[in-house]
Amino acid sequence: MPAAFSGKRPGRLLRRLLLRLLLLLYLSLSLSGGSPADPTMTTQDASQSQAYSLTKMQAGLNESSPEPVTTTRTVNWQTQGSPSDHLTLGRNVSTPGPDLTTQEFKQATKENMSNVTFVEYEVLLPGVSGTSVEKNITLDRAARIELSCRLDNKYSHLKSLQVTWKRGNETIRHMNKTENSWSIQLRILDNSNLGGYSCTLKGEEEISAMFHLQVPKIEGKEKPIVSYEGDTAVMICKSFGYTPIAWTWYMTNGSEQIAINDSLLADKYVINRLSANVTHLKILKLTKEDDGVYWCEAAFELGKSKGKLKLRVLSLMVPLKPFLAIVAEVVILVTIVFVYEMYSKKKEKSAEDEKEFDQVEQLPNCPSKSEESNGLENSSARHRKT
Amino acid sequence: PPPASVGRVPGPPDGGWGWVVVFGAFISIGFAYAFPKGVAIFFKEIQDFFGTSYSEIAWVSSIMLATTYGAGPISSILVNRYGSRPVVILGGLLCGIGMVSAAFCTSILQLYICVGFITGFGLALNLQPSVIIIGKYFLKRRPIANGLAMAGSPVMLCTLAPLNQFLFDNFGWRGSFLILGAILLNCCVAGALFRPIGAATAPVKTQAIEEGKDALKEEVTKDAMEMSSPMNITMETKTEEEGGKGCCEKVNQYLDFSLFKHRGFLIYLIGNVLMFLGFFAPIVFLAPYAKHIGIDEYSAAFLLSILAIVDMIARPTTGIIANSKWVRPRIQYFFSFSIAFNGACHLLCPLASGYTGLVVYSIFFGLAFGMVCAMLFETLMDLVGAARFTSAVGLVTIAECCTILLGPPIGGTLIDTFGDYKYMFIKCGAVMVLAGTFLFIMNYYNYRMLAKEEKERRAKEEDPKSVRTENEGRNNWNKETAQDGPELEPLREEREGLKKEVNGT
Repeated sequence: MPAAFSGKRPGRLLRRLLLRLLLLLYLSLSLSGGSPADPTMTTQDASQSQAYSLTKMQAGLNESSPEPVTTTRTVNWQTQGSPSDHLTLGRNVSTPGPDLTTQEFKQATKENMSNVTFVEYEVLLPGVSGTSVEKNITLDRAARIELSCRLDNKYSHLKSLQVTWKRGNETIRHMNKTENSWSIQLRILDNSNLGGYSCTLKGEEEISAMFHLQVPKIEGKEKPIVSYEGDTAVMICKSFGYTPIAWTWYMTNGSEQIAINDSLLADKYVINRLSANVTHLKILKLTKEDDGVYWCEAAFELGKSKGKLKLRVLSLMVPLKPFLAIVAEVVILVTIVFVYEMYSKKKEKSAEDEKEFDQVEQLPNCPSKSEESNGLENSSARHRKT
Repeated sequence: PPPASVGRVPGPPDGGWGWVVVFGAFISIGFAYAFPKGVAIFFKEIQDFFGTSYSEIAWVSSIMLATTYGAGPISSILVNRYGSRPVVILGGLLCGIGMVSAAFCTSILQLYICVGFITGFGLALNLQPSVIIIGKYFLKRRPIANGLAMAGSPVMLCTLAPLNQFLFDNFGWRGSFLILGAILLNCCVAGALFRPIGAATAPVKTQAIEEGKDALKEEVTKDAMEMSSPMNITMETKTEEEGGKGCCEKVNQYLDFSLFKHRGFLIYLIGNVLMFLGFFAPIVFLAPYAKHIGIDEYSAAFLLSILAIVDMIARPTTGIIANSKWVRPRIQYFFSFSIAFNGACHLLCPLASGYTGLVVYSIFFGLAFGMVCAMLFETLMDLVGAARFTSAVGLVTIAECCTILLGPPIGGTLIDTFGDYKYMFIKCGAVMVLAGTFLFIMNYYNYRMLAKEEKERRAKEEDPKSVRTENEGRNNWNKETAQDGPELEPLREEREGLKKEVNGT
């Protein structure tokens, strides 16, 4: 990896960095999704090493980097020239929000101000109303952000626009950033500041855009994890891109959620934090009572978010029944095949004996030859049968 | 067989029970090729369970593949001694035992042993005998039989993939391994269908030996027997007449190392070893490449399904084409063409843009892949003859084992270094085009050498001394010189006899 970076210009270096990062994102999504219809993964050391390189890079990029991240490059790489795509770093990693096809989403400069980051988010509005524009913004720590709505230059003919920024019913004072864009600046310090912020442009028609500020989502597993009595079950929760402050596991007892204390029940539960973004819950010596729903909760500075996992505990009898059924089927089929073979061999032999008898009877005229050729003809008769 | 050639051993049945054997081989080969790929579905879960990295898990598949190919010679030796049926039944049992014990594993090392070695060895004992027995049951229609049997691989893959997913969702990985062990026992059923065919001609062999002992030299008899009973010679016959030669001869009885002096075999070996460097990597990386250029997961997986479906159709079709009277005598050229075609597909793949381009690539790749696989063993049988095929296939698979395992990691390294998939495709395409060209040229040379040798042999046959020693041989030769067809290309006895029949049909 380092060899690839040595001796190259910073622009190329950056492009390569972004290239790898995006490759990683897709790979990490695919690896986590676990495509079931992809059976031909024999040796995927390549993708694994890429996944490793990606996690390293991701960790690196999560800290505030002094390099400005320009999105135009990202867009170009992703779509191979087609400008209408919208893939960006922050959005794809943590918030699977609605696809933006009608506008660009740009993430501009990131500066360090004391220890609070300042991020600008801008949305390009379409000129036509009726299309609702929404953007999900994920924040895991306190930040100052600026949300702006910009009207594309081709719509600048629209006059007398009244712009309102709202959060729920509350109006927020905004400022005219440029001739065609309006923005608000917010300090997000705790959970109460999160939510939906909207900008509305009232002219002849009403155009609006909505920003959803939320904590990072944690994905659990949709399909249940199947395990057996007496065995161990391992449940994993991952946070993509954002490092939680703490992880907590809950089990569901009826309708209540009870926190799992692994120091109290150390021989039953083991909670490991494998890396900053990954947590493991290992349940030992499973019993039927362990069957149910489990929650992993990640605590961020601005709030908490949960992921759901299901555990199913089966007894050993469950797979044993199909196993025995199939073994019985195999034994029966093999027996049938062998019996059929013995039967057809017997039939052949009796038919052969008859034919040999006939053949022998046909050779009374050649006594001199018969001794030599008898053997030959007998064998020919025999192998003619087969 | 016509009554005139009294005592001549009949050709293989080319039908009848042979088709049942093809069905058994279909199942056996299908499991052998599809199972290592199908088991990859469980890897993510097992990786989480044991807390290992992905490459440690991928070793399971690699070990299984390596054992399946590397145990080829052992398989050949066992088939040489005991025939196909017992070996396949043993293989099925081993696979079943391997997977069932894997269900109770508590460490990744145990998984390597149970799933990797034991199951892999069982699959090896399945693969070789299935291919060998087709050569024993078919001559005229052998390419069709081969094509049909090799079609087992994509069919099994298409069946195993959703089945594995279903088992995994319902039983977890341990239960799935248990049930898969039972499913693999079905290979025993396939093995039971492999009725031995050499046994019926045992009396004829003793007959020929008697004649040979009447004759002057034992070597001449050996040649006569090879010519007259091309399908049914086993190494045991050699022990009967040669008995008590040096240890080299003894080893050759089990595994015919003299094949390394066989020109056709060497050509095949070098060409195939080269080809396998670029054979499997594109399949492994097709889905990741699709995701890389922006296609979503399910469509990327669908590409592989398209590949498998086209593959399924291509294999029997190629078998039928290869059996036609225009292609059969020149089957080596057809094989080299399909390898080069495969390589050309890979070279053109980087030009494919978007999903449609990749779909077209998948279709052509599936077609080329099927063509190559269908003829993989057919061409080897064609070159060395069914008698020595048993040993040949063992030696070839162990040689291919190395390049098969190296192919995908080299491709992966290329992708890592350049960050672009196109170099991997270019490498695979170039290697395969090179292999195809090499095979084409060398087989052209081989055909010419065989024609020359045939002419020399015929000239020698005019010599009266050798005529008296082999009754049967003489019958054969008379027939051949009488029906000298206009095409002179294939020139071993077997192929001549075959050509006569093909021309006649």
